[in-house]
Amino acid sequence: MTAAETVLPAASFARRRFWLRTLLAGPLAFAAAALLMLGGTAWLPAGRAQIDNLVLPVVLFPLIWTALFLYALLDARLLRAYGVIVALLALHGALIATRLWK
Amino acid sequence: MVKLPQSETKKLLAIHGWSGVLLGLLLYAVICTGVAAVFEDEIKDWSSALPTRAAAEFPAGLDAAMRRVAAETDPHFLHDLSIWPAGGGRLNLLFHTHETDAKGRPVERGVEYELDGNTMQTVARREGRLDDLGSARRSSALADFLVELHVRLHLPNPYGLFLTGVLGLVMMIAAVTGFLIHRHLIKELFTLRRRRDRLLTARDAHVVAGTWNLPFAFILAFTGSFFSFASAFALPAMAMVAFGGDRDRMFETLIGRTVAEDSRAAAPADLDAVLRDVRQRAGEEPTFISIEHYGRVDAAITLFMEPKRGELTPISYVYSGASGAFLQDKPLLGLQPSFGGQLYALIGPLHFGNFAGPLSKAVWFALGFAGAYVTLTGLLLWTQRRAGQPAWRRMGIVVHWVGYGLPLALLACPYGYFIAVASGADAITAQAIAFLGVAALTFAAVLLLRRHDAIQRAALLASGAAMLGMPLLRLVCGGLGWSSALRAGIVVVPAVDLALLSAALICLLLAARSIRSARALPVREVRAAGWAPGA
Repeated sequence: MTAAETVLPAASFARRRFWLRTLLAGPLAFAAAALLMLGGTAWLPAGRAQIDNLVLPVVLFPLIWTALFLYALLDARLLRAYGVIVALLALHGALIATRLWK
Repeated sequence: MVKLPQSETKKLLAIHGWSGVLLGLLLYAVICTGVAAVFEDEIKDWSSALPTRAAAEFPAGLDAAMRRVAAETDPHFLHDLSIWPAGGGRLNLLFHTHETDAKGRPVERGVEYELDGNTMQTVARREGRLDDLGSARRSSALADFLVELHVRLHLPNPYGLFLTGVLGLVMMIAAVTGFLIHRHLIKELFTLRRRRDRLLTARDAHVVAGTWNLPFAFILAFTGSFFSFASAFALPAMAMVAFGGDRDRMFETLIGRTVAEDSRAAAPADLDAVLRDVRQRAGEEPTFISIEHYGRVDAAITLFMEPKRGELTPISYVYSGASGAFLQDKPLLGLQPSFGGQLYALIGPLHFGNFAGPLSKAVWFALGFAGAYVTLTGLLLWTQRRAGQPAWRRMGIVVHWVGYGLPLALLACPYGYFIAVASGADAITAQAIAFLGVAALTFAAVLLLRRHDAIQRAALLASGAAMLGMPLLRLVCGGLGWSSALRAGIVVVPAVDLALLSAALICLLLAARSIRSARALPVREVRAAGWAPGA
């Protein structure tokens, strides 16, 4: 095996991880934050004025996205990061679907 | 001191740098215009002050004026009415109704009257979609241009709002990572090494300004991205998911309905009497009046007030629009206080810095200015370090152009505006031409001057000259003189003129100092400060 043969797969692997990480931190983290915001209306308490479940997710959306973006970039284990964000997507996607088709 | 493993710090440093570089120039434009927009009301007053001023922003006689313009309005639009002080001593009354366009999308159309707040005479009348009415207000065009650039970068809805929302998120990322990568947070607040290494000094200045500005940058980014995303995406999506697409029902739930629906006709209540009552109850002046279902039994008058002394969040007062009876006071959202409502009510004062009058506005202006400085110096450091690569050298040209050209282009807008107002031309088009013209000129100047210090010096000189000439131009173009303004109690006109003259003086002194230090340096060192090859 030549030096070139050992370097090329490693570079290709790193490139693939970079794009997978970008996909997770970019569109997937944004989608997860958006679904978390919309799905949050179903499980957050409505409070005294019956509006907390509607207001809090919208107000906190920028913080949710920032947290998910940084988590997606910083978790050393890419697969675990995918697991967490996809689980959030699936859970809140399902919550929203039940509200839409009720 | 934040302790992180070296690999994490490296990653965060990369995220910090790239988050700034990718969208930093747009972010810089949003911050620069936001800094000026802190004084939106003052700019409106200064640029288009009417010669006389009523004692109150909602003066006695408003009720008669409201009935007069209502009688002149197509009954189709007499559904809701908004009334607010429009700057320069004007009052705007906007009758509007909800409609759907050809594609079934909700739109609002209406008729807007601009009244002289002292004489209550109609100064201007506009009719059309609410989105279009906003861009047709000539008296407030100068401030509106800045605000539009700040809020949506002059892009159509919802794309502009979405983009500025993303820019807010980018700024939050830069602020959070900026905080985490500081290994010696307290020390870096005070470290400014003034040696002969210009890059090191510039890096220190960036870090010091950025470190002091971190909490403020975070607050502005958070509140700004909330404002952008809430209207561009979050609220429409929320209406779809939680209210089956019924936006009216969503707003009714969020704001709270105080009067049961009854569509029978009824004469509107005396608005002057309502204003007298609310001043007694609140001890403050209203900032905005909204009348729902004008001319109906279920009409409701909501008066939005300034926050009480020592409080951050305002409350609103609701009256029957038919009888004028006081119904209740309530928070901005919901019919009673709630955690979500309180949090929402805090966002406005924290973003606009208007919670303690001119003092808090001045602090917000200064902190915003520091934010713009941090963004620009971050971009300059990034591109100057990589000036050996052609792509980054080209990026360096763009950074210099936007960094120094944008403030100059913004300073050109009043020139277009005042000259157009004096000559009867279209002020909105004129200020846009002035902005784009100066932007083009500064691009040519950046290509011509090539060196960082020369560009900086030219920008300081031009900015100083532009601000020095602005009060004079305003006077020559028919603006209110200082003595007339002071006699009428319009302090803002001389105050803004004096602020401009002071800022001009500072710019010219800085330019003079820069010229002196350039003369003192050996030629070889001046050349080494350039970003372009052969500079």
